[in-house]
Amino acid sequence: MHPSDEPTDDALVSATCAGDEAAFAQLFERHRRRVARTAARFFSRPEQIEEIVQESFTKAYFALPNFAGAHAASFAAWLAQITVNACYDELRRAQRRPEQQLDDLSAAETHALTAQLRAADARPDVEATLIARDLAGKLLARLSAEDRLVLTLLDAEGLSVAEIAKLMGWSTPKVKVRAHRARAHLRRVLRKYI
Amino acid sequence: MFGTAKQKAQNEQLDHVGQLLVRAGADNEAAFETAAASPFLYTRLRARIAAAESAQPTGADEGWLALLAVARRAVPAMTAVAALVFTLMLWLASGNAPTTATGFGDEAYYGGDAGVEQAVLADAQNLSRDEVLAIVVAREAQGRR
Repeated sequence: MHPSDEPTDDALVSATCAGDEAAFAQLFERHRRRVARTAARFFSRPEQIEEIVQESFTKAYFALPNFAGAHAASFAAWLAQITVNACYDELRRAQRRPEQQLDDLSAAETHALTAQLRAADARPDVEATLIARDLAGKLLARLSAEDRLVLTLLDAEGLSVAEIAKLMGWSTPKVKVRAHRARAHLRRVLRKYI
Repeated sequence: MFGTAKQKAQNEQLDHVGQLLVRAGADNEAAFETAAASPFLYTRLRARIAAAESAQPTGADEGWLALLAVARRAVPAMTAVAALVFTLMLWLASGNAPTTATGFGDEAYYGGDAGVEQAVLADAQNLSRDEVLAIVVAREAQGRR
Protein backbone atom coordinates (compact mmCIF):
# COMPACT_ATOMS: atom_id res chain seq x y z
CA MET A 1 0.00 0.00 0.00
CA HIS A 2 1.26 3.46 -0.80
CA PRO A 3 2.01 5.49 2.32
CA SER A 4 -0.44 8.17 1.27
CA ASP A 5 -3.19 5.52 1.14
CA GLU A 6 -2.66 4.64 4.78
CA PRO A 7 -5.19 6.15 7.13
CA THR A 8 -3.95 8.99 9.33
CA ASP A 9 -3.68 8.63 13.09
CA ASP A 10 -6.70 10.85 13.52
CA ALA A 11 -8.76 8.64 11.21
CA LEU A 12 -7.67 5.55 13.13
CA VAL A 13 -8.55 7.23 16.43
CA SER A 14 -12.02 8.06 15.12
CA ALA A 15 -12.47 4.49 13.86
CA THR A 16 -11.34 3.07 17.22
CA CYS A 17 -13.80 5.30 19.04
CA ALA A 18 -16.50 3.98 16.72
CA GLY A 19 -15.66 0.43 17.84
CA ASP A 20 -13.20 -0.65 15.13
CA GLU A 21 -10.69 -2.87 16.93
CA ALA A 22 -8.53 -3.30 13.84
CA ALA A 23 -7.95 0.45 13.80
CA PHE A 24 -6.59 0.32 17.34
CA ALA A 25 -4.36 -2.61 16.38
CA GLN A 26 -3.02 -0.51 13.54
CA LEU A 27 -2.33 2.42 15.88
CA PHE A 28 -0.53 0.04 18.21
CA GLU A 29 1.66 -1.39 15.46
CA ARG A 30 2.47 2.07 14.20
CA HIS A 31 3.58 3.48 17.57
CA ARG A 32 4.74 0.52 19.67
CA ARG A 33 8.44 0.96 18.86
CA ARG A 34 8.38 4.67 19.66
CA VAL A 35 6.72 3.99 23.01
CA ALA A 36 9.16 1.16 23.77
CA ARG A 37 12.12 3.39 22.93
CA THR A 38 10.93 6.07 25.37
CA ALA A 39 10.42 3.43 28.07
CA ALA A 40 13.93 2.08 27.42
CA ARG A 41 15.36 5.46 28.39
CA PHE A 42 14.20 4.83 31.94
CA PHE A 43 14.18 1.05 32.34
CA SER A 44 16.80 -1.54 31.47
CA ARG A 45 14.82 -4.80 31.66
CA PRO A 46 12.65 -5.90 28.70
CA GLU A 47 9.74 -6.86 30.98
CA GLN A 48 9.74 -3.37 32.50
CA ILE A 49 9.65 -1.85 29.02
CA GLU A 50 6.81 -4.16 27.94
CA GLU A 51 4.89 -3.19 31.07
CA ILE A 52 5.22 0.50 30.18
CA VAL A 53 4.13 -0.18 26.58
CA GLN A 54 1.01 -1.99 27.81
CA GLU A 55 0.25 0.60 30.47
CA SER A 56 0.63 3.49 28.02
CA PHE A 57 -1.59 1.94 25.35
CA THR A 58 -4.21 0.94 27.92
CA LYS A 59 -4.36 4.51 29.23
CA ALA A 60 -4.46 5.85 25.69
CA TYR A 61 -7.28 3.46 24.74
CA PHE A 62 -9.53 4.69 27.55
CA ALA A 63 -8.62 8.32 26.92
CA LEU A 64 -9.12 8.19 23.15
CA PRO A 65 -12.53 9.93 23.24
CA ASN A 66 -10.84 12.88 25.02
CA PHE A 67 -8.09 13.02 22.40
CA ALA A 68 -10.54 12.91 19.51
CA GLY A 69 -12.50 15.82 20.92
CA ALA A 70 -10.05 18.21 22.45
CA HIS A 71 -6.40 17.77 21.48
CA ALA A 72 -4.67 19.92 18.94
CA ALA A 73 -1.45 17.92 19.37
CA SER A 74 -0.62 15.00 17.13
CA PHE A 75 -1.48 11.52 18.32
CA ALA A 76 2.25 10.72 18.59
CA ALA A 77 2.88 13.73 20.85
CA TRP A 78 -0.16 12.89 22.95
CA LEU A 79 0.97 9.27 23.29
CA ALA A 80 4.49 10.40 24.22
CA GLN A 81 2.99 12.45 27.03
CA ILE A 82 1.10 9.41 28.31
CA THR A 83 4.24 7.24 28.02
CA VAL A 84 6.50 9.64 29.93
CA ASN A 85 3.88 9.96 32.65
CA ALA A 86 3.63 6.16 32.85
CA CYS A 87 7.42 5.98 33.21
CA TYR A 88 7.35 8.66 35.90
CA ASP A 89 4.67 6.76 37.84
CA GLU A 90 6.65 3.52 37.56
CA LEU A 91 9.86 5.22 38.74
CA ARG A 92 8.01 6.51 41.79
CA ARG A 93 6.48 3.11 42.49
CA ALA A 94 9.89 1.45 42.12
CA GLN A 95 11.42 3.76 44.70
CA ARG A 96 8.85 2.68 47.27
CA ARG A 97 9.59 -1.02 46.82
CA PRO A 98 11.86 -2.57 49.46
CA GLU A 99 13.94 -4.45 46.89
CA GLN A 100 14.89 -1.08 45.51
CA GLN A 101 16.97 -0.38 48.62
CA LEU A 102 20.41 0.13 47.24
CA ASP A 103 23.63 -1.70 47.67
CA ASP A 104 26.77 0.34 47.96
CA LEU A 105 29.14 0.41 45.07
CA SER A 106 31.78 -2.26 44.98
CA ALA A 107 35.44 -1.29 45.15
CA ALA A 108 35.80 -2.00 41.43
CA GLU A 109 32.84 0.21 40.59
CA THR A 110 34.14 3.06 42.76
CA HIS A 111 37.53 2.71 41.10
CA ALA A 112 35.91 2.79 37.63
CA LEU A 113 34.00 5.93 38.59
CA THR A 114 37.11 7.68 39.90
CA ALA A 115 39.05 6.74 36.77
CA GLN A 116 36.18 8.04 34.72
CA LEU A 117 36.27 11.40 36.45
CA ARG A 118 40.03 11.74 36.09
CA ALA A 119 39.81 10.90 32.42
CA ALA A 120 36.86 13.19 31.77
CA ASP A 121 38.83 15.91 30.06
CA ALA A 122 41.45 13.76 28.41
CA ARG A 123 39.50 11.00 26.69
CA PRO A 124 35.91 11.98 25.99
CA ASP A 125 35.46 9.25 23.33
CA VAL A 126 36.04 6.29 25.55
CA GLU A 127 34.23 7.60 28.59
CA ALA A 128 30.89 6.16 27.74
CA THR A 129 32.33 2.72 27.23
CA LEU A 130 34.14 2.84 30.56
CA ILE A 131 30.96 3.33 32.54
CA ALA A 132 29.23 0.06 33.10
CA ARG A 133 25.46 0.18 32.71
CA ASP A 134 24.72 -1.31 36.09
CA LEU A 135 27.00 1.27 37.70
CA ALA A 136 24.96 4.00 36.04
CA GLY A 137 21.78 2.28 37.15
CA LYS A 138 22.97 2.06 40.74
CA LEU A 139 23.91 5.72 40.88
CA LEU A 140 20.82 6.99 39.08
CA ALA A 141 18.61 4.95 41.39
CA ARG A 142 19.78 7.26 44.17
CA LEU A 143 18.00 10.17 42.52
CA SER A 144 14.34 10.94 43.04
CA ALA A 145 11.94 9.96 40.27
CA GLU A 146 11.49 13.62 39.32
CA ASP A 147 15.25 14.27 39.18
CA ARG A 148 15.87 11.19 37.08
CA LEU A 149 13.03 12.01 34.73
CA VAL A 150 14.25 15.56 34.07
CA LEU A 151 17.90 14.56 33.63
CA THR A 152 17.02 11.70 31.30
CA LEU A 153 14.79 13.89 29.16
CA LEU A 154 17.46 16.61 29.02
CA ASP A 155 20.64 14.56 28.59
CA ALA A 156 19.50 11.30 27.00
CA GLU A 157 16.44 12.32 24.99
CA GLY A 158 17.96 15.70 24.18
CA LEU A 159 14.75 17.62 24.78
CA SER A 160 14.76 21.34 25.48
CA VAL A 161 13.38 22.84 28.68
CA ALA A 162 10.33 24.09 26.77
CA GLU A 163 9.70 20.65 25.30
CA ILE A 164 9.93 19.00 28.72
CA ALA A 165 7.57 21.61 30.15
CA LYS A 166 5.05 20.86 27.42
CA LEU A 167 5.48 17.11 27.77
CA MET A 168 5.01 17.08 31.52
CA GLY A 169 2.51 19.91 31.78
CA TRP A 170 4.91 21.83 34.04
CA SER A 171 5.92 25.47 33.81
CA THR A 172 9.28 26.31 32.21
CA PRO A 173 10.71 27.73 35.48
CA LYS A 174 9.72 24.53 37.26
CA VAL A 175 11.68 22.46 34.75
CA LYS A 176 14.71 24.75 35.12
CA VAL A 177 14.63 24.62 38.91
CA ARG A 178 14.12 20.86 38.87
CA ALA A 179 17.02 20.38 36.46
CA HIS A 180 19.28 22.58 38.59
CA ARG A 181 18.40 20.64 41.74
CA ALA A 182 18.75 17.31 39.95
CA ARG A 183 22.27 18.18 38.79
CA ALA A 184 23.22 19.34 42.29
CA HIS A 185 21.84 16.09 43.71
CA LEU A 186 23.74 13.97 41.21
CA ARG A 187 26.92 15.89 42.04
CA ARG A 188 26.43 15.10 45.72
CA VAL A 189 25.92 11.42 44.86
CA LEU A 190 29.08 11.35 42.77
CA ARG A 191 31.14 13.19 45.41
CA LYS A 192 30.38 10.41 47.87
CA TYR A 193 32.28 7.94 45.73
CA ILE A 194 35.11 10.08 44.48
CA MET B 1 38.41 33.40 44.70
CA PHE B 2 40.76 30.55 43.80
CA GLY B 3 38.64 28.21 45.88
CA THR B 4 35.47 29.28 44.05
CA ALA B 5 37.09 28.75 40.63
CA LYS B 6 38.32 25.34 41.71
CA GLN B 7 34.89 24.46 43.03
CA LYS B 8 33.31 25.58 39.77
CA ALA B 9 35.71 23.47 37.73
CA GLN B 10 35.03 20.48 39.95
CA ASN B 11 31.26 20.97 39.56
CA GLU B 12 31.62 21.10 35.79
CA GLN B 13 33.63 17.92 35.83
CA LEU B 14 31.04 16.20 38.01
CA ASP B 15 28.22 17.45 35.76
CA HIS B 16 30.04 16.01 32.77
CA VAL B 17 30.38 12.61 34.43
CA GLY B 18 26.75 12.88 35.51
CA GLN B 19 25.66 13.45 31.92
CA LEU B 20 27.64 10.42 30.79
CA LEU B 21 26.04 8.35 33.53
CA VAL B 22 22.55 9.45 32.53
CA ARG B 23 23.27 8.59 28.90
CA ALA B 24 24.76 5.23 29.87
CA GLY B 25 21.70 4.50 32.05
CA ALA B 26 19.38 5.37 29.17
CA ASP B 27 21.25 3.29 26.60
CA ASN B 28 19.21 0.09 26.76
CA GLU B 29 19.15 -0.77 23.08
CA ALA B 30 19.15 -4.55 23.54
CA ALA B 31 16.32 -4.45 26.06
CA PHE B 32 14.39 -2.09 23.77
CA GLU B 33 14.73 -4.44 20.79
CA THR B 34 13.65 -7.43 22.87
CA ALA B 35 10.61 -5.62 24.25
CA ALA B 36 9.58 -4.04 20.95
CA ALA B 37 9.76 -7.38 19.13
CA SER B 38 8.03 -9.28 21.89
CA PRO B 39 5.35 -11.61 20.46
CA PHE B 40 1.77 -11.48 21.69
CA LEU B 41 2.28 -7.96 23.04
CA TYR B 42 -0.93 -6.81 21.37
CA THR B 43 -2.82 -9.89 22.60
CA ARG B 44 -1.72 -9.17 26.14
CA LEU B 45 -2.68 -5.53 25.71
CA ARG B 46 -6.19 -6.51 24.55
CA ALA B 47 -6.52 -8.84 27.55
CA ARG B 48 -5.46 -6.03 29.85
CA ILE B 49 -7.95 -3.62 28.31
CA ALA B 50 -10.71 -6.23 28.62
CA ALA B 51 -9.84 -6.80 32.28
CA ALA B 52 -9.86 -3.04 32.93
CA GLU B 53 -13.23 -2.72 31.18
CA SER B 54 -14.79 -5.50 33.24
CA ALA B 55 -13.38 -3.98 36.43
CA GLN B 56 -15.05 -0.67 35.72
CA PRO B 57 -18.22 -0.20 37.84
CA THR B 58 -21.63 -0.42 36.16
CA GLY B 59 -24.27 2.32 36.46
CA ALA B 60 -26.09 0.72 39.40
CA ASP B 61 -22.82 0.08 41.22
CA GLU B 62 -21.79 3.68 40.69
CA GLY B 63 -24.85 4.89 42.63
CA TRP B 64 -24.03 2.71 45.60
CA LEU B 65 -20.37 3.59 45.43
CA ALA B 66 -21.20 7.29 45.39
CA LEU B 67 -23.45 6.81 48.41
CA LEU B 68 -20.72 4.91 50.23
CA ALA B 69 -18.22 7.62 49.40
CA VAL B 70 -20.54 10.28 50.83
CA ALA B 71 -21.16 8.16 53.93
CA ARG B 72 -17.46 7.63 54.37
CA ARG B 73 -16.95 11.37 54.47
CA ALA B 74 -20.07 12.10 56.54
CA VAL B 75 -19.61 9.53 59.32
CA PRO B 76 -16.53 11.11 60.94
CA ALA B 77 -18.13 14.56 60.81
CA MET B 78 -21.37 13.29 62.36
CA THR B 79 -19.43 11.43 65.06
CA ALA B 80 -17.51 14.57 65.91
CA VAL B 81 -20.71 16.62 66.19
CA ALA B 82 -22.38 13.94 68.38
CA ALA B 83 -19.34 13.80 70.65
CA LEU B 84 -19.32 17.58 70.94
CA VAL B 85 -23.02 17.70 71.85
CA PHE B 86 -22.61 14.89 74.38
CA THR B 87 -19.64 16.65 76.02
CA LEU B 88 -21.60 19.89 76.19
CA MET B 89 -24.54 18.13 77.82
CA LEU B 90 -22.29 16.50 80.42
CA TRP B 91 -20.61 19.78 81.14
CA LEU B 92 -23.93 21.60 81.64
CA ALA B 93 -25.32 18.81 83.79
CA SER B 94 -22.24 18.75 86.03
CA GLY B 95 -23.02 22.31 87.24
CA ASN B 96 -19.73 23.76 86.12
CA ALA B 97 -21.42 26.05 83.63
CA PRO B 98 -21.35 29.73 84.58
CA THR B 99 -24.62 30.94 86.12
CA THR B 100 -26.38 33.92 84.69
CA ALA B 101 -28.32 36.61 86.55
CA THR B 102 -31.54 35.74 84.83
CA GLY B 103 -31.15 32.02 85.37
CA PHE B 104 -30.30 31.63 89.07
CA GLY B 105 -30.37 35.11 90.60
CA ASP B 106 -32.95 36.75 92.86
CA GLU B 107 -35.21 37.22 89.88
CA ALA B 108 -36.06 33.52 90.04
CA TYR B 109 -38.27 34.33 93.00
CA TYR B 110 -40.34 36.89 91.15
CA GLY B 111 -41.82 34.75 88.39
CA GLY B 112 -41.55 35.19 84.62
CA ASP B 113 -41.76 39.00 84.35
CA ALA B 114 -40.40 39.81 87.75
CA GLY B 115 -37.84 42.17 86.34
CA VAL B 116 -40.46 44.48 84.87
CA GLU B 117 -42.58 44.37 88.01
CA GLN B 118 -39.59 45.09 90.22
CA ALA B 119 -38.55 48.01 88.07
CA VAL B 120 -42.04 49.52 88.16
CA LEU B 121 -42.30 49.11 91.90
CA ALA B 122 -38.80 50.40 92.51
CA ASP B 123 -39.51 53.53 90.46
CA ALA B 124 -42.80 54.19 92.21
CA GLN B 125 -41.97 53.58 95.84
CA ASN B 126 -38.33 52.76 96.12
CA LEU B 127 -39.11 49.49 97.92
CA SER B 128 -36.62 46.89 99.08
CA ARG B 129 -36.60 43.42 97.58
CA ASP B 130 -38.22 41.94 100.68
CA GLU B 131 -41.06 44.45 100.42
CA VAL B 132 -41.56 43.66 96.78
CA LEU B 133 -41.62 39.94 97.60
CA ALA B 134 -44.18 40.53 100.32
CA ILE B 135 -46.39 42.52 97.91
CA VAL B 136 -46.16 39.79 95.27
CA VAL B 137 -47.03 37.06 97.76
CA ALA B 138 -49.94 39.13 99.04
CA ARG B 139 -51.24 39.67 95.50
CA GLU B 140 -50.98 36.01 94.72
CA ALA B 141 -52.89 35.21 97.88
CA GLN B 142 -55.55 37.72 96.84
CA GLY B 143 -55.73 36.24 93.42
CA ARG B 144 -56.24 32.78 94.83
CA ARG B 145 -59.12 34.01 96.87
